This record gives sequence, structure tokens and C-alpha cells, in this order.
Amino acid sequence: MSLSLNMDFQFTTSVEKLWNALTDSSKLAKWIADNDFEPVVGHRFQFRHQPNEYWDGIVDSEVLIVDEPNQLSFTWTVGDERHTVTLTIQDMGDGKANLHLEQTGITNEQGLAGAKYGWMAWVDKLVKVLLEQ
Amino acid sequence: MNQAVQKRDVFDAIADPTRRRLIHLLSDADELSLHEITPHFPMGRTAVSKHLTILKEASLVHDRRVGRETRYTLNASPLKEVEDWVTFYRKYWSNNMMRLGQLLEEDEE
Repeated sequence: MSLSLNMDFQFTTSVEKLWNALTDSSKLAKWIADNDFEPVVGHRFQFRHQPNEYWDGIVDSEVLIVDEPNQLSFTWTVGDERHTVTLTIQDMGDGKANLHLEQTGITNEQGLAGAKYGWMAWVDKLVKVLLEQ
Repeated sequence: MNQAVQKRDVFDAIADPTRRRLIHLLSDADELSLHEITPHFPMGRTAVSKHLTILKEASLVHDRRVGRETRYTLNASPLKEVEDWVTFYRKYWSNNMMRLGQLLEEDEE
């Protein structure tokens, strides 16, 4: 399957400061989780969330894209689920920056890539409607 | 509620565009036979039937015999799993981004 989540967030900050918050390990720790991230393609690292009874809190990741100060992408593996998280910064002018987040879920590496787009709309609309019946 | 054991992952079942169209079609009707479903697809009965079987294995479709034909109905409840995936990560990132917003504000001070 290939399922994707797309979200946008606006911040009153510069592109450089936002990029810094995405790529500085100690800053990432403050808004995602404790980690050993480095902004180097191929670097393997972990996010260590507070464990709970269902999950040890560990996300295994590998840096895929470091395009300063525009785009950062890394894998996001929890158990059998291998996702890709891509963060894209866009300068909105007036001291504002937009952060686009895309998380795609891939359990079947190939073949289904074409089905990716349009997924979110499908999930959002149809699934909701169907489950409310 | 359907208690049948799911033999197939729901994500797997709905990854295919034909099967998503089948779900759409069945969601607009109470019950359809293979004979009624097939004209909506650019493929033969056998191919459509195979897709229906996959949906059935994921418990997304129920079937029953009526005389000489099999009639299909949609069971949407397994889609809850898909919704849960999205809802979980939407909340997760919303919470994180709130913290990021605070962090960026602190930087300004």
C-alpha cells in the first residue's frame, strides 16, 4: 500500500531559522523527540519517544535529502512500517514561512507508487463518509 | 459488526485503483451482482471477480448467493484502520508543530 499524509503549517519566522529548527539535533529534541540526527545524507539515527505499553518509542530513520534551506527528508521505520517523512520549507514573504509535511507509508516498496497521489483526498472524504453511515 | 477473521491487510486491499472504484460503486448501492458490477470496469467478469475476492478477504465486502448469482455488499468497518493511521499521524504532527511554533517564538525573544 502507499498511503500519504500531507499537512501545511505556517510560522512567523525566517526560512533560515525554520531550517535550523529542523536540522539541529537539540532543537529537534524539543519538538519531535530525543535523537541522534545529523544533517548528512545516509546518516542513520533514531528518534526516541517516551515509551508506552504498546510501543518502545523508537523510530529508526535514515536521512534521504538535505537541501538547505528548502527540503529535508528521512525514512521513518517503526516495526514493519516503513514511511518517508519529507519536510519542505517555502518563504511566504512578510517574515512568514510555510512548512509542508508529507508522510508516505510504504509496506510494499514498488509497484504501488502510482497509487500514491489522490490518496489523502480519498481517505479524508470517502472513509469518513463510509464510517459515518 | 463483522467478526470474520481478516485474511488480508486492508491497506493492501485498497491499494489498487480498481478495488477503490469497486468500493465507491458498492457504497452507492445496497447490493450488486457481478453481472451488474462488471460493465463499470474495462475488464472481464473473471478479473472483477478476483478483485472482489481480495476485498472479501479483507472483510471489506460480504457476499451471498441468491439463486444462481452472488450478490455483494460493502462492509466499511475495516477502513477504520486506515482512518486511524491518518488520524494518529495528523495529531502527532499537529502536536509537534505546536511545540515547534513555541520554540521559534522563544528564539525571537
